[in-house]
Amino acid sequence: MRTVHLDKSPAREAGAGLLPHAAALGPRSPVGALCLGVMDTPNAPNPEAAAPAGTSADINGRLGSLLELIARGDQAAFAEFYSLTSRRVFGMARRVLIDAELSEDTTQEVFLQVWQNAAKFNPAVGSPLAWLMTISHRRAVDKVRSSQSATDREAKYGASSQEIDHDSVSDEVGSRLEAEAVVRCLGTLTDTQQESVRLAYYGGLTYREVAERLNAAVPTIKSRIRDGLIRLKTCLGVS
Amino acid sequence: MNAPENDNRLPGGFTAEIATDLASGRVVDLAEVYALNAVDDAERAAIEQFLASAPAADRDAFNERVRQARETLATSFTAEEEPPPGLLDRIMSSLPAQATQPSPAAEPLPGTGPTPVMPHPLHDSSGMPVTDELGAARKRREERRRPQGMRNWLVGVAAAAVIALGGVGVGAYVANQNDPLNQVMQASDVRQATVDVNGGGTATLSISPSRDAAVIKMNGVPAPPAGKVYQMWLIPKDGSAPVSQGLMDAEALSKPAVVKGIGSAAALGITVEPEGGSATPTLPTVAAAPLGA
Repeated sequence: MRTVHLDKSPAREAGAGLLPHAAALGPRSPVGALCLGVMDTPNAPNPEAAAPAGTSADINGRLGSLLELIARGDQAAFAEFYSLTSRRVFGMARRVLIDAELSEDTTQEVFLQVWQNAAKFNPAVGSPLAWLMTISHRRAVDKVRSSQSATDREAKYGASSQEIDHDSVSDEVGSRLEAEAVVRCLGTLTDTQQESVRLAYYGGLTYREVAERLNAAVPTIKSRIRDGLIRLKTCLGVS
Repeated sequence: MNAPENDNRLPGGFTAEIATDLASGRVVDLAEVYALNAVDDAERAAIEQFLASAPAADRDAFNERVRQARETLATSFTAEEEPPPGLLDRIMSSLPAQATQPSPAAEPLPGTGPTPVMPHPLHDSSGMPVTDELGAARKRREERRRPQGMRNWLVGVAAAAVIALGGVGVGAYVANQNDPLNQVMQASDVRQATVDVNGGGTATLSISPSRDAAVIKMNGVPAPPAGKVYQMWLIPKDGSAPVSQGLMDAEALSKPAVVKGIGSAAALGITVEPEGGSATPTLPTVAAAPLGA
């Protein structure tokens, strides 16, 4: 079991598909205050105006505006929404499904949902990016569970997690700092917490399947997922 | 900012069963597992049903924890990959009119309803417009591309890059002019294609229409998992069921294999199957390659 140490290579230590952006990050810089600025929250006054370019808050501000336009049938807004987010949606689908064509189908379904349900997006219950990735993850997980056995998913997850991340790394200062915060905050999770969360997210496994794979007790895995996500949330300053 | 180690605290009262967790008052503590989609469909339904009749305070606390967990996941898992070119065009061309949307008032906003359901129903259900549109688009795409039933087989063929096409050097395979392998390799019309194998390595196909056969050679492909074998299949052009062409265990991996009867096949697929092989392929394939011209 490896531990994430931030003074070591973050790409290698925090790898296994969780943190593509971390790969190109240089030496740590002070990021102590960054956590609090990471997420767009309904309570933050005008968050997009204050956020550095490239942060989630910055992107979420734009996505929220686009969703309003999409809800009124604006196809240009939809195309811009797609251009801003399709790499994330397809990238996640590929991690979960591996299969390129199933991932493409999933991506198509997700964006059709965006088109049809933009009017139902409610900023009070989450950021646009979280809304989108929630739809995407659920779609991908449903598809992977209906198309292959847990054994296959585990085998494929094992294979995919050994791949080197080749995701492009944004050169936007804001997103780099944000990625650094994620690396640092993941380092506050135990190895077993990280592993359990990652297996569930990118492996598409249920807590029970995670427990089987890790040969751990079922209640223990539920606790790891709960505690790991809460710890990550706290460190990232998600409010 | 290392939070105190709390992974070793008591499992927080969790039990082995979601139903027992719910009955023992742990519903709010299931918010993270729920947000992570780490429950199965029946468990998700059980949680939502339980919440529907739970005290408002529990429901609110659960929804808030779900919301925070989703924000956390969206921030932390940021894999990116460029989708196939043309996907946006395909989506745009299939966009249904929005006029048929129920008004927002007709359905509760996500998180504001009595249950913390997803923003929208996500399961394919035949009545949903999104599914109809998608189904139609997919069907059009399949018809355009290849016979029915082929779709899952050619998994990733587009992306799995045919690395090399062209004449084949005979080289190492020359041993016996009369053996089937060499007949394929030395055929005047042999052409070669290499496809990626999921999990690592590549498979090189040497295809000879005149010999109605192909030679498959795995390169750098890891041994199948314990208790598993690779199984090769030909997928008939007429859309009928895939036909097994034999198994490859760890030992056989290093040797070229001859597959005959490719004339009536549209593609060759390789799957991972339990020892002894399967009567029908377990999808998805780890590799697939088109055989047709």
